[in-house]
Amino acid sequence: MAARAAARCCCLALLALAAILPVQGIERIQLSIGDIRAPGLSVQGVELQFAAGSKGPELRIAHLALGERAWRGLHLSCPEADAAFPEIRCRGGEIRVGAKRLPLNIDFRFDPLTSAFDAVLRLSSGSTVDIHHDGGNLVEAALTRFEIGELSGDLAGFAAQVSPALAAELAQHAAKGTVDARLAWQQAGDADPHEKLQLQARLSGGSFSSPDGLQAAEGLALSLDLTARALAAGWDWQGRLAWEGGEAYLHPLYLQSGPVLQAEGRLNDDELVLRMATLELEGVDQFALTARIAREPPSLQDLTLSLAGGDLAILGPHWITPALAPALADRLRFAGHAGAGAEIRNGQLFSLDLVFDGAGLSLAGVDEGGEVRGRGLAFGPLSGHLPWSATAPTRASLQLEGGHWEALSLGAFDVDALLDGGQVAFGQIRIPLLDGALVLDGLALEHGAEGWRGQGGVVVEPLSMALLTQALGWPSMSGILSASMPGMRVSTGEISLDGALVVSVFDGYLQATGLRVSEPFGVASNLRADIEARHLDLAQLTDTFSFGSISGYVDADVKGLELAGWRPVAFDLRLASSPGSYRRRISQRAVQNIGALGGGGAIAALQRGVLSVFDTFGYRELGFHCVLANGICEMSGIAGRERPDGGFPIVRGGGIPALDVIGYNRRVDWQELVDRIQRVIENNVAPELH
Amino acid sequence: MRWLTAGLLSWMMAFAVQAQGNLEIDTPAISALKASMKQRHAQLRPLYVSGAIGLAADGSVALRDASAVPLAQRGSVNALVAAENADRSALYREVARANQHPEWEADVRSTFAQRWIDRAPAGWWVQRGGTWVKK
Repeated sequence: MAARAAARCCCLALLALAAILPVQGIERIQLSIGDIRAPGLSVQGVELQFAAGSKGPELRIAHLALGERAWRGLHLSCPEADAAFPEIRCRGGEIRVGAKRLPLNIDFRFDPLTSAFDAVLRLSSGSTVDIHHDGGNLVEAALTRFEIGELSGDLAGFAAQVSPALAAELAQHAAKGTVDARLAWQQAGDADPHEKLQLQARLSGGSFSSPDGLQAAEGLALSLDLTARALAAGWDWQGRLAWEGGEAYLHPLYLQSGPVLQAEGRLNDDELVLRMATLELEGVDQFALTARIAREPPSLQDLTLSLAGGDLAILGPHWITPALAPALADRLRFAGHAGAGAEIRNGQLFSLDLVFDGAGLSLAGVDEGGEVRGRGLAFGPLSGHLPWSATAPTRASLQLEGGHWEALSLGAFDVDALLDGGQVAFGQIRIPLLDGALVLDGLALEHGAEGWRGQGGVVVEPLSMALLTQALGWPSMSGILSASMPGMRVSTGEISLDGALVVSVFDGYLQATGLRVSEPFGVASNLRADIEARHLDLAQLTDTFSFGSISGYVDADVKGLELAGWRPVAFDLRLASSPGSYRRRISQRAVQNIGALGGGGAIAALQRGVLSVFDTFGYRELGFHCVLANGICEMSGIAGRERPDGGFPIVRGGGIPALDVIGYNRRVDWQELVDRIQRVIENNVAPELH
Repeated sequence: MRWLTAGLLSWMMAFAVQAQGNLEIDTPAISALKASMKQRHAQLRPLYVSGAIGLAADGSVALRDASAVPLAQRGSVNALVAAENADRSALYREVARANQHPEWEADVRSTFAQRWIDRAPAGWWVQRGGTWVKK
């Protein structure tokens, strides 16, 4: 408090004046001035000497303190001076600190009777500092075209003495720019018992860069208006800082000029307080904050922030994606509006509130080469409240009006979750999908050093295959798909599902177990599963895929199925006629198609004549085995029926007329096979027989 | 003594198994990741050459001297580096998975890191012993 009292009471006391003042001029002046004290400034032991006939007036300051830095033995001498009552004038004065000369010249005029004082400091760069003291309570200063680079150049030594930390920062960040400023300092007086400061400053052509280039700006133009009044508790201030030009990269954010900060607060020896500040920012209707910043060492203690009417289409790419998911910059899209509130207490995040209003979020799909493609995943419009607190669990409630996953539309659903520190426990989430639903039960996630991990259960409420195949653009199938997978585990890069997904289709069923999804959102998205299919009606199946006609039933086991980008890349498929007694016929067209798929020489040459005579044939059993790996399908036919000539029967004839389909190509390029199947299905063209 | 021998043996066997991990293993996911990384490499190469980015000791790519890139492009370079690192992390996980040992991820990562650094052309920046050096 003593220091503040001294600061408020800046006293310029004339302790002694000894002068002989003949009418013609001043022969000798000796002034001893007492202490000058202002915030961050202390001047002690000031002596001014002037003697006629000597080189000029000389000013000595025994002790000068600026902030925490202090100098002893300041000495000003004037090579050109005159003294005509009542003034002392100096031109081209030089200032030395000890033996070292500062790189500037000073002109000044001083009236010892009124203490009025004018000075112009000229730096070698051409910039000037004009100081005017009216002898009363007002000191005015103007800084013209001051180059910040000087503080790392000619004035480096001086800057290092004023603030070693600041000087080091300026030099390390190669700070440059031109500053013009006007300062008016009204000391306390009878008219106003409070000291006042008024500052207008403008930076142009500003730039800086940290050595790694992660904190940098170019072409900066800033303007600052600041007024301050000294009160018992410190300086009350208010100001406006406008970023008028230039660009900055403050890792990971790229920012451009436009923001304007208006703020008011208090500054004292201990802290800087922003009582209320508003920030004009593109994409935000209102942005307000308060803060408390400790001065030694500088650290953010408390902060409250509130943002209203945030346009996510603007804030998303500029702020959210770079900060939270830079890897998805090309694929993430935002829409709608959001508000936010945050509180930091004692340097720690204390609470965070997010409010969404018709917000939308989408993640575009990506193809195997990493190119953005497909509809991907999207949610929204999304509304609701997501609060988080460091000290107590909070409940988030979001309402989503829909979304889509690739070609599948998602219906409206709610998300309720309990947030506790880094843990999220979701209530049941039921996402309508076609005429069924995807239900996430008891999903709990925890955020740790390696990302999110957790567990829960997944249920797919029955949905019709007719609608699903229609939505996916597949050949129409009837049946029902449902799933119960109570053991879902989520870890970085992988989701595994214990339980079964069951599709009742073609009068039989298909069951997928051991489902694992790896890297779900990247180029390496990959699904693994084992599939067991039983009693599939071949008549329906072949009809669906326009593959000719086969009556009968088939069982299939697919071990180690792996889909990359929804295309099978590995499996061990074994297909065989279902046991039991039922009609087994195969059409001429189906025989031709199977033969074509088997590659050249698939049908015994002797039987080709028979093929053209009859429309359908009886068969005893079907069998097919394909192990897909590295793009090659290693084929074999009905188990245990290998032929001595190396052929493998796929269809074993029976009844009248009977016909065998025998494969000879054991290694078939999978892509070629898929292309052939597609041609057969799409063109419905009879394949060429060899 | 017997337990010590048994412990030592099992440790040596574990080490032998670990050492036998196949880094060249190829799966469709690994191929997709490599294709994606190869495609991105055309954009990354000039950044390696200029020293804007370098190969870090942890198997990632680091933005080590952003000042080599115009200010307005630093954000997109950071996004490019993040995308590359997402692919690299997925690659390490996938190689470990393909070896039937997901827990090897950290070893796969450090082995790949050393390999990237060893194979980097002269003039690129690599991280060795915590400091950046130009090869």
